[in-house]
Amino acid sequence: MKIVIMGCGRVGATLAGLLDAEGHNITVLDLDSYSFRRLPAGFKGKALVGNGIDEDALRKAGIEQADAFFAITQGDNRNILASQIAKHTFNVKRVICRIYDPLRQELYESLGLESISPTVIFADILKKKLEG
Amino acid sequence: MYIIVVGGGRVGYYLSKALLEEGHEVLVIEKSQAYCDIINEELGSICVRGDGCETSLLAEVGTARANMLIAVTGDDGDNLVSCQVAKHKFNVPRTIARIRNPRNEILFKKLGIDITISSTNVILEQITDVVPTHPVTHLHEIRDKGLEIVEVKIPQGAASVGKAIKDINFPAGTILTLIIRKAQKPVVPSPTTVIMAEDQIVAVIDPLMEGDVRKALRGMS
Amino acid sequence: MEFHKILVPVVGSEVDVETIKLACRLARKEKAKILALHVIPIERSLPLDAELAGEVRKAENILTQAEKTALAQGCEIETDLLQARNAGPSIVDEAVEREIDLIVMGLTYKRQFGQFSMGNVTPYVLKNAPCPVILYQQSQPE
Repeated sequence: MKIVIMGCGRVGATLAGLLDAEGHNITVLDLDSYSFRRLPAGFKGKALVGNGIDEDALRKAGIEQADAFFAITQGDNRNILASQIAKHTFNVKRVICRIYDPLRQELYESLGLESISPTVIFADILKKKLEG
Repeated sequence: MYIIVVGGGRVGYYLSKALLEEGHEVLVIEKSQAYCDIINEELGSICVRGDGCETSLLAEVGTARANMLIAVTGDDGDNLVSCQVAKHKFNVPRTIARIRNPRNEILFKKLGIDITISSTNVILEQITDVVPTHPVTHLHEIRDKGLEIVEVKIPQGAASVGKAIKDINFPAGTILTLIIRKAQKPVVPSPTTVIMAEDQIVAVIDPLMEGDVRKALRGMS
Repeated sequence: MEFHKILVPVVGSEVDVETIKLACRLARKEKAKILALHVIPIERSLPLDAELAGEVRKAENILTQAEKTALAQGCEIETDLLQARNAGPSIVDEAVEREIDLIVMGLTYKRQFGQFSMGNVTPYVLKNAPCPVILYQQSQPE
């Protein structure tokens, strides 16, 4: 699969590494080239400096041929905007968006945007830990 | 009317001031305490500090009874989300977003934002006669029909030059209504009318197809 | 200093009685008039002119109480009831409009998040009042 990942933070870089190891064709997009240091050694995919809410940058990253797009920068709204560009402008089949704010995540899920709120999931994991 | 303005920077400040002067009830949501203080001091206590995308804050300020939400922060993503939350969570009848990147105009409309304002586009459209950079000038929008009337100028060397209209591949729904030619009376084109360089064409288009119309008329050969 | 019109914002807490009494003592010498004001805060989710029967009844009780206290002190008193988003600006506006020459405000000792807090009404009035302000805070609870 051809996959574009926007945001090369810890999660982005780890995800890129995992998918790359499975033989997928990965392009990672980040505003800061310094973030790419997080990519694992031997990463075979592409790393591009660019703004994921800019159509030209997304095109350069190969969004037009992409089967999946992940929006996992630190900003909820950047992720939401980029995901909707991927979904509605480039018709990417699978778009997955990280939204920290649980209420916002709920709303966008109901609007048909596949999204995950790490806040809810992590709080839940912590609670379960305590309960054993 | 009850109008919520998201973003209390310069645009938000002057916008709110004008709306207040017209007698509307205005509430500003602004992230920075310093900007909040300025507005509260100068325009009366109408500013709440917080994130205009957050559902809880929007509920607190009574977004459900707002007639309009105008998002004028400097960030396209923030403005989009504010408008979408207002529209889908609180059924605000009219949402307006300021846009920095003119490309986002089409996407925002597709996503149901009622009005988008891109200062870049406004300036480009104003200077289009002086500096012919902007390929498509938006003349009028027929909102409920999803149509737009635009003006397109044909550049030298475009692939459409010398072709009859019927031989050009337009997106469905495009109607060329008028051709304005130098030193000639404007003509209503027929399918056999041949396009010439420097023609100004007035057309009715589907705004979502603007890119394709531009390509058909202005694409280089 | 001479005072002819003294504004006393009342909120319905214990401190009201002592604040009115203090205002009366200050009023006595010049035969000053006291104006007790209560502001009903209206949330943004409601229009400013919303009719809140329950709130109005509560407010009228608060003002009646103020009236009784002042009359018992032999003081002339007037009352006023307002609806506003924020009490601060309406207290200041009232002081300007009614040409008030002293505001006497009561303050209840409060902690918020473990810190002493005056809330936002008192600082606003102190900052923007068109006349002198006397702040009366009851002694701190144990």
